[in-house]
Amino acid sequence: MRHYENLVIVKPTLTAEEIHSSIAAIEEVITSNGGEIATTDAMGMRKLAYPINKNERGYFHVIYYTIAPSAISEIERRFRINEELLRFVTIKYDTNREIAAWNKLVEKAKKGTTAPKAETEVAVEETAVEAEAAAE
Amino acid sequence: MSEKRKYKKRFCKYCESKVEFMDYKDVGALRFSLSERYKIMPRRLTGNCKRHQDMITIVIKRARAAALIPYTVTRKAVVTAPFENLK
Repeated sequence: MRHYENLVIVKPTLTAEEIHSSIAAIEEVITSNGGEIATTDAMGMRKLAYPINKNERGYFHVIYYTIAPSAISEIERRFRINEELLRFVTIKYDTNREIAAWNKLVEKAKKGTTAPKAETEVAVEETAVEAEAAAE
Repeated sequence: MSEKRKYKKRFCKYCESKVEFMDYKDVGALRFSLSERYKIMPRRLTGNCKRHQDMITIVIKRARAAALIPYTVTRKAVVTAPFENLK
């Protein structure tokens, strides 16, 4: 079993429910191939640094998991077929130092579902709305 | 023999803070080694050591693939998207 991390970008044109169901489908692909998901981190809707397939925004989701190395090619094949994904990035954590970093990242992701640096515009707007409501 | 050192002695910022691992999702930490146009800054300008320069190069390329930072910035985009916007 080896430690991996996958970042997936889901199409922004889907509704919130469709995004959730597609992410559940993505996680199902990992678990059905014998992977164990340690934690997930929803970075939320973000602006892309450059347009991908004419999309300016995307829903970022990070999955930390352990899986046998041979299953990765199958997972990536399934991801390529999935039309709801704009992009995915698979990172391998191999050396002891990297695995320690992986554990730290998992703990960090478990504490807060969204890292403070990964705060989205939507989340900021929500807090602003809440602040306004509290002021009233 | 009596040559004086022309420049301040360079030191590796990452060695000083003992960085063992860099996360490609932490875009704010990559800013130091990126130019205004999101090129990777050379070692002779930043003073990074070889080991940390290799690390940051890999991490920046991952962040580019993940659309967290752009590959290139055109003249138009430099004006409309200053560095601070991307975080």
